[in-house]
Amino acid sequence: MSRSRAPWVVMIAVLVFFYLPILILVINSFNASRFGGSWDGFTLRWYILLFDQREIWMAFRNTLIIASGATVVSMVLGTTAAFALHRFNTRLQRVHYTLVYTPLVVPDILMGMSLLLFFVSIGLSLGLFTIFLAHVTFCISYVAMVVLARLQDFDFSMIEASQDLGAGWWDTTWRIMAPMLAPGIISGGLLAFTLSIDDFVITFFVSGPGSTTLPIRIYSMIKHSRNMPVINALSTLLLIITFLAVWGSQRIAKEKA
Amino acid sequence: MKSLIRWTLIVVAAGLLTGCGERKPRLHLYTWADYFKPELIKEFEKKYKCRVVIDTFDSNEVMLARIQAGATGFDLITPSSYMVRTMHQLGMLQQIDPTRLANIYYVDPEYLAIALDPEMDHSVPYMLTNTGFAYRKSRLEDVEPSWGVFGREDIRGRATMLNDMRETLGAALKYLGYSLNSVDEGELAEARDVVIGWKRNLAKFENEQYKYGLDSGEFILVHGYNGDILQAMEENDDIAFVIPQEGTSISCDDFVIPVTARSTDLAYAFIDFFLEPANAARNTEYILFLAPNEGAYRLLSEDILNNPSIFMKPEIRKKSEVIDDVGEALALYTRMWDQVRAAD
Repeated sequence: MSRSRAPWVVMIAVLVFFYLPILILVINSFNASRFGGSWDGFTLRWYILLFDQREIWMAFRNTLIIASGATVVSMVLGTTAAFALHRFNTRLQRVHYTLVYTPLVVPDILMGMSLLLFFVSIGLSLGLFTIFLAHVTFCISYVAMVVLARLQDFDFSMIEASQDLGAGWWDTTWRIMAPMLAPGIISGGLLAFTLSIDDFVITFFVSGPGSTTLPIRIYSMIKHSRNMPVINALSTLLLIITFLAVWGSQRIAKEKA
Repeated sequence: MKSLIRWTLIVVAAGLLTGCGERKPRLHLYTWADYFKPELIKEFEKKYKCRVVIDTFDSNEVMLARIQAGATGFDLITPSSYMVRTMHQLGMLQQIDPTRLANIYYVDPEYLAIALDPEMDHSVPYMLTNTGFAYRKSRLEDVEPSWGVFGREDIRGRATMLNDMRETLGAALKYLGYSLNSVDEGELAEARDVVIGWKRNLAKFENEQYKYGLDSGEFILVHGYNGDILQAMEENDDIAFVIPQEGTSISCDDFVIPVTARSTDLAYAFIDFFLEPANAARNTEYILFLAPNEGAYRLLSEDILNNPSIFMKPEIRKKSEVIDDVGEALALYTRMWDQVRAAD
């Protein structure tokens, strides 16, 4: 009896859909043709141009500052929110749950608009700080949901055991809770980082002078720039950094194990 | 885990600190992407000991929405002329004080004659763009420099016109010898019938992809913006750009200073810096749009002067017009355009 070929076909299709566009982007970053429709020869021109484009690097820096800041803060706040939601089951916590859950389903455009109106009405001047606040707002929900899922199959007898054996609150938290929840917190944080780094709609509304982020910059380049392939070059560099980071973290994980 | 958090914090702190290290005066410029020669920006910064912070928008409407919503702090913006008019009507713009612009006399008076703000009351022209048509030289022979080219039989199915009622009805109005800001129902009806005639030859009405289609050979004749077509020309030697002798539509991006600007002095200095003929010429050579600056024309290279997609001949420019707000006649345009779209 021959086995079904369907899983193979699906796997290959998924790989093609995931990685072919990325491959084309990498190839086009070395393509002399601006439109990328045909191969006009190898060039490093876009990479050279990229290093001359101060605004792109500014935008890149803004994006990284906001994404890392929002990730750290939302990891802390999201985890504490998840704790509260898990430990207590009062009516107030059900309201809390709804409040944390809502940003996941509210359309971005509504959120961006309402945050903008809010910031303007309290007289906060728009810039990196308002983008940071907006990103923390939606990142908290994602972190909280991921950590909450982790908590739901958390074995609380471990905590009781540690307290039985004489560990104080501090030891229990840092040596039992934190390591066991770490995968949840980190994956929540990574999710938050990814969402923050490529958010366009909300950022667009709450950004001010000097706070253009990479997605906003790229979008305006699509419409009006003659140097679009520079973005291919930047994306290729980002891909290399990402792959190196993943590879490095896996090595570290292996060494520890 | 702990070290990871510590490192992240250090990186964030370092990023924030470098951000507010030195406190030079800043000029916040809100403009289109890649619209200034980077070297000139650096020279300006050196000369005035300041920092130019550039933010970019991708459409006039988006820019207006942001400013209206309360994004303050931009010192200088470069919207298109029709948007300048809207912003002026909304009271968002400062009046331009010509005594603070030593180089204002270089602005081309022939362009000002057709500009929407000819007195430079609240705006100073920065860069001109115009429409025209482009074709593949090897595929289309004996091309007359006239909008009538869209009536040729041999382009059938291989041509595009802009999906923009003002541009395309405007081209037909120019072809008929009328103003492209006409509000006369009879003239517009004639223009509609001309476009319906052209439409039989068109593959589609198209705004974004035509330059790729022209490069790949899918289209042999396109109606489009000079900047887009110039990109295609740099890719492909077989493409020629023509500005029809009947005239065409010109649009201009202007410098404006919003009332909420903080560094007004730097804004004036910046405008003046880019009005200086040498700088205007260098900027034009780099971004390949034409600065309407009389002093700069003499300094442009032959290549630029002979390239119709960058330098528009004065005699054609005289016949060309800036697309203006037509007020209530907009409904008339919309109706005519709907009839064009519905026609077979």
